[in-house]
Amino acid sequence: MFKRISTLVSLLALASMMLAACGSAPTEAPAATEAATEAPAATEAPAATEAPVAGAPEVCATDEYGCAVFKPGESIKIGMGAPMTGDYAAFGIDISQGAMIAIQDAGDVNGFKFELVTEDDGGSPEGGAAVANKFVTDPAIVAIAGHIFSGATNAAMPIYEKAGVPMMSPSATNPDLTKQSSKVFNRLVFTDADQGRFAAEYLFNKLAITKLAVIHDGSSYGQGLAQVTNDEFIKLGGEVVDFTAITPGESDYSATLADVASKQPQAIYFGGYNAEAAVIVNQMKQSGLDGVIFFGDDGTFGQDFLDRTAANSEGTYSTSLVPPASEARSKFDAAYEAAYQTPAGKLSPYTWTAYDSAASLIATIKSVAILGEDGNLYIPRSALVAAVRSIKDYPGLSGQVTCQENGECASSGPTFYIAKDGAWVEAEK
Amino acid sequence: MATESKVHKKNISTYKIVQIVLGVLFGGYLAWRLYQILIANPVYGADTWLRFAIAGIILGSVYALVAIGYTLVYGILHMINFAHGDIMMIGAFGGYFVFEGLKNIPAPTSADPGLNFLNAHPVISVILAFVVGISIAALSGYFLERIAYRPLRNAPRLVPLISAIGASIFLENAAMLMFGAQRRDFTNPTVLTRGEGWDLPVGGGTVILTYTSVLTFVLSIIILVALYLLVQRTRMGRAMRAVAENKNVAALMGINVDGIISQTFILSGALAGAAGVMWGIHLGLVYYFLGFIPGIKAFTAAVLGGIGNLPGAMLGGLFLGAVEALGPAILGIDFQLKDVLAFGILILVLIFRPTGILGEVLSEEKV
Repeated sequence: MFKRISTLVSLLALASMMLAACGSAPTEAPAATEAATEAPAATEAPAATEAPVAGAPEVCATDEYGCAVFKPGESIKIGMGAPMTGDYAAFGIDISQGAMIAIQDAGDVNGFKFELVTEDDGGSPEGGAAVANKFVTDPAIVAIAGHIFSGATNAAMPIYEKAGVPMMSPSATNPDLTKQSSKVFNRLVFTDADQGRFAAEYLFNKLAITKLAVIHDGSSYGQGLAQVTNDEFIKLGGEVVDFTAITPGESDYSATLADVASKQPQAIYFGGYNAEAAVIVNQMKQSGLDGVIFFGDDGTFGQDFLDRTAANSEGTYSTSLVPPASEARSKFDAAYEAAYQTPAGKLSPYTWTAYDSAASLIATIKSVAILGEDGNLYIPRSALVAAVRSIKDYPGLSGQVTCQENGECASSGPTFYIAKDGAWVEAEK
Repeated sequence: MATESKVHKKNISTYKIVQIVLGVLFGGYLAWRLYQILIANPVYGADTWLRFAIAGIILGSVYALVAIGYTLVYGILHMINFAHGDIMMIGAFGGYFVFEGLKNIPAPTSADPGLNFLNAHPVISVILAFVVGISIAALSGYFLERIAYRPLRNAPRLVPLISAIGASIFLENAAMLMFGAQRRDFTNPTVLTRGEGWDLPVGGGTVILTYTSVLTFVLSIIILVALYLLVQRTRMGRAMRAVAENKNVAALMGINVDGIISQTFILSGALAGAAGVMWGIHLGLVYYFLGFIPGIKAFTAAVLGGIGNLPGAMLGGLFLGAVEALGPAILGIDFQLKDVLAFGILILVLIFRPTGILGEVLSEEKV
């Protein structure tokens, strides 16, 4: 009997503990956001107290978020929230390495050096919010060269917004991010919507295609891209003769392709990844699509696609973030390889935009930084936020960077490549 | 008594009437669509129809080969060997490694010092690939039966089914661990380059009849005929049919039942192996998950044709291939829906003819 009661009691205790655990979870979340709201107060505090001190420029007293103050010998910090562990670690490592090169190239402003602070956000929204909360409590962090994934970026944005810390993401492509009228969020990477628009324009204007067939793999990435390209191509005045889907993972699409061939397109735009793209390209000739141009997205770009298709891929197009060859790019590539013993672009295609985002932030910080009469360096925060948003004609590796009012800074768009003799070469502009 | 049987008869006749009405409706719709698409409002030219037909026949002949493996095993053990598709994958890997190996053997001639064995002797290479692929797959079939099914011979019918699913998952993961998860390209001899073939001028266009598709089709027909003769004309085939009819009586007649069951698994493994090598040569991709979808499709084909029935499996395979390639075109729907169509037809067949197209009405004992 006693035993039974004790089991009952322990069961009850267990149940109450579980209930308590469940109950405490929602109360924890507001605590985290409270920290976020407190954070700007923490950063403002030193500025507010130091503002009356002799030597502080007047702008610090009027700036909404105050100034970041650096005593001689301190370095100006740029934050980087990136997945450094787990499945997507390659992206985070590569992007922070690209940004690191920009820090090395940055030099100094009035003797104040720059420093990159990398924190692991795991690429997840929770990680993004945690890293952002950590960053905004450090008054020396004035700008963020991230975040990397759209989900983490989305969670981090409101936290930086309250603290007045500008962001410049090299890789968050979700189109919705710039539709939230955030003051601080900017990005250097083109979105899927941009990619579709540029592809449609290239097909219609440059390749003079009037009859296009669009194929996609049904994934949110592939289908979204295919839909944008389809709409833009029609808007330009072209005719989309077929808009069809394939089942990913199969190794025979010849019936689908024969159906497409019967509509007699001049080119095929494909939204999807390289596994299916390779199968399609290999079966085009036997399906009656001989001589039809295959135009792929950035999911088809890479050596793997060329290896699988050999001679069949000759003359196919692909899209990539990889910037066109230039002197600045080869200088970066050499510096990257010297520093990390891997060729740039091997880990991810975002290393160049990562360099550009850090470098453009550094240039903007230099332009707004004020050397006080007391020898301290003052960076007015809201002036920096506005300055980043109004970056104009900054010469980056990926082209001239100009930010629009919504924070889209990737004016250059994607680069198109054509397969020639088993290698991707830049297609004519 | 008499009224009861009358009621019974009446039930059957209403069911029959519903069947006939639905059949006529469906047939009428099909005829109307055919009229629409061929005469009234032709969407496709003759060249496109021929391309659809080629794609369907090739796919269908591979399905048929795999389907026969299901049917043979079902006929004898009354179980579905769900690991059959993965045996096909093993065969494809066998052929793949033969070609990779031969590619690295130099066979220089005076004309071309860089020539390798694969291109110097393509016929021998292809034969070798088939021999190795078929042998490995047959061996896997034998051991599959010894390890996964024989210990469960007298267990309830669901048990070997679960064991089969387990064996399938095991084989897939073993292949992934051994060969990696990436898709590999099946390198053919240059004379068999995929996409190259004879040009047929048809209806204003040119249809390419590829060498690999001709090879696939001809080989599978030869194999199917040989198999039919084997089952119908040889002692082994007679023993197999006897075991399928009734294991106990066959044993009483002096037939080694376990031996025959082993032989059946070897035979069905060999067929799957041949299908795997053909799949590799014709479509050019091998990876650990290759057998899954053809396996499911071939199982469908076997049920469609009447499981346990050899000509039925062949017919079911070809029919399914044709439905996948031609069905969406005839009905004017998106090609992504070909699987919906294939399985939809399976459901229709099972409703109206539960034993499949060629399936005989099974006796109580056999069921």
